[in-house]
Amino acid sequence: MNTKLKPYLLLIPVMTIILGIFTFGLAMGLAQSFGYFPAIGLKDFTLKYYMEILTDKGFLSSLKFSLYISIVSSILAVIIGVALAYSILQSKHKKGIEEIVYKLPIIIPHTVAVLIVYNILAQSGILPRILFHLGLIHDQSQFPSMLFDKSGIGIIITYLWKEIPFIAMVVYTVLSNISNKLSEVALNLGASKRQVFWHVLLPLVMPSIISSFIIIFAFSFGAFEVPYLLGPTAPKTLPVEAYIEYTNPNLANRPYAMVINMILTFFSLVLIWLYQKTFKLISKYSGGYR
Amino acid sequence: MKRILAFIIIFSLVFSLAACNQNKSKVENISEMEWNQILESAKGTTVNFYGWGGSQMTNNWIDTYLAKRLKEEYDITLNRVPMNIDDILNKLLGEKQLNTEGTVDIVWINGENFYTAKSNDLLYGPFVEKLPNFKKYVDTDSVEVEYDFGFPVEGYEAPYGKAQFVMVYDKERVKNVPIDHKTLLEMAKNNPGKFTYPAPPDFTGSAFVRNIIYDIVGYEQFLTMKADKETVKKAIEPAIDYLKTLKPYLWKEGKTYPATIAQLDNMYSDNEVIMSMTYNPNSVAGKIITGEFPETTNTFVFEKGTIGNTHFLAVPKNAPNKAGALVVINFILSVQAQASKYNPENWGDLPVLDYQKLTEDEKKVFEAIKIGKGVLPQDYLLSHRLPEIPAKLIPIIEEIWIENIPTEGE
Repeated sequence: MNTKLKPYLLLIPVMTIILGIFTFGLAMGLAQSFGYFPAIGLKDFTLKYYMEILTDKGFLSSLKFSLYISIVSSILAVIIGVALAYSILQSKHKKGIEEIVYKLPIIIPHTVAVLIVYNILAQSGILPRILFHLGLIHDQSQFPSMLFDKSGIGIIITYLWKEIPFIAMVVYTVLSNISNKLSEVALNLGASKRQVFWHVLLPLVMPSIISSFIIIFAFSFGAFEVPYLLGPTAPKTLPVEAYIEYTNPNLANRPYAMVINMILTFFSLVLIWLYQKTFKLISKYSGGYR
Repeated sequence: MKRILAFIIIFSLVFSLAACNQNKSKVENISEMEWNQILESAKGTTVNFYGWGGSQMTNNWIDTYLAKRLKEEYDITLNRVPMNIDDILNKLLGEKQLNTEGTVDIVWINGENFYTAKSNDLLYGPFVEKLPNFKKYVDTDSVEVEYDFGFPVEGYEAPYGKAQFVMVYDKERVKNVPIDHKTLLEMAKNNPGKFTYPAPPDFTGSAFVRNIIYDIVGYEQFLTMKADKETVKKAIEPAIDYLKTLKPYLWKEGKTYPATIAQLDNMYSDNEVIMSMTYNPNSVAGKIITGEFPETTNTFVFEKGTIGNTHFLAVPKNAPNKAGALVVINFILSVQAQASKYNPENWGDLPVLDYQKLTEDEKKVFEAIKIGKGVLPQDYLLSHRLPEIPAKLIPIIEEIWIENIPTEGE
């Protein structure tokens, strides 16, 4: 048997199920977003639902809120994550406890992260209680409201706690694989440490930074549980909005949920395409500097 | 050769799995069977009971009491599958689209979900007339049995239990207990930031909004109202204005609301607010026992009354074991099962049996049950009980709330 073909052949059974369900679901969603849902008696293709959703004020504020949360949390996570990775690289005892500690948040599920953030930052949480006992605030309600807020601080903090270590881990792995010679040459030629970071190391890890940025951006844009648990009543993020439309007992509302899902899918496809582009960039760069 | 064989086996397994669902089509005509025959054919079978699994007490009652008794008396294995009703509806809908035999035998359902399921032809029935206990114990002509959120039941679901909306407060911290929407507003003004309600479409939050509407504009007009947004909007306008007046005194000045009743309960336990609410009037006793709520927790209803509803059990049209399902539902309508369910130590769900139809001994079974701390007696609740708003109007009210209340003032 042809050895090149073998892995593909072996994968066929499971892939028919996985891809079959996936494409079937996607196709059904697409059909329903155009108003084709024969099980409840909707049989005509129409663009009505897209028009209605795309001109709806609630939808636009949801879209804005979703973009705001994912952009802010992803950019902050990248900046802090890279700084963390660089400081780990600089520190002397690399294999110490911190390597376990900074990887811990990656393993913990998002719902648990929400619980931790809630317990600490809610107005009846641990932090306000400590401040109260220290006499810094006189009432729980003096503590700034961070959760269930339109500013989305609670959601962003949860994402940051999960994503900074992820960025740091990816960037640190790449950084530690870059040969020391490059930095040493630059230092020898009179560059400062800062110049080495900005002009030698950062350009080399840039492709990985961009690709990991896309990953966390796509995740936070499409994620449901954190904004559902910590978000304000209005505006809601798009996935929460889609869920609420989906669970509406009136089945005639289903196309609206599917339109939102298709819009989320469209964003994801664009991000996958961007990711592929940067991946090509990575493979172009890697190898030459070893 | 071995490898090729392995391939063939895997492929055949995959495709037989996909195909096997379609070949079973037992022809069983339950509607023509006598009760004894139904009992006979249910013997030794498994019944899949799908329903909300969010309460440990409820789950416990089904797993320990109900399942055990069914096994002993009817040789039926009860398989409880916890699933939210919207997921169950989607499952039934998916099965209908694929035209396969189902997996669900009994579904715990009511309100707009029943409306959706029945109007999309997902349910089997009418079946309640088949059940001996239904005829024997249930007041078959009462509004609460004939209508589910204003939608005619027509024998497609059997009553399971009753609930009623009550407000929860702490005696220590609320001195003047509100009796209507006006005194509630006063209380909120005196305790700014200490009261709130879950945002609809949360079930309890939505019920709170409906209770406010009832208290301000009455309930009669809604029972026959057209499901039209403009009509509803006009009818509930005074209530929406009231909620706007209430808003600045709420938790976080009403800029945001707890997303679920669980969150509000949590905030109540944490002293962040001084009141909570529930659609199960007896649940408070359980929460005092477990220590979630303080000992001084009590409940009240508005003077004009609060909304009560009945939850039901239905059998899906494609249920594989309809005979078993009927036997289980019939047992749930027995005096022993309803009484055990009513006991707050087990669940605390209000019974659906008609007191007039019970014998003296049967009445004593219910009277012997202690209802527990913080709970209003059943006759008081029943005399302050209002019918639910028709299911079709509820999503419209929730929509109006979302458009008007949380985004107001920006």
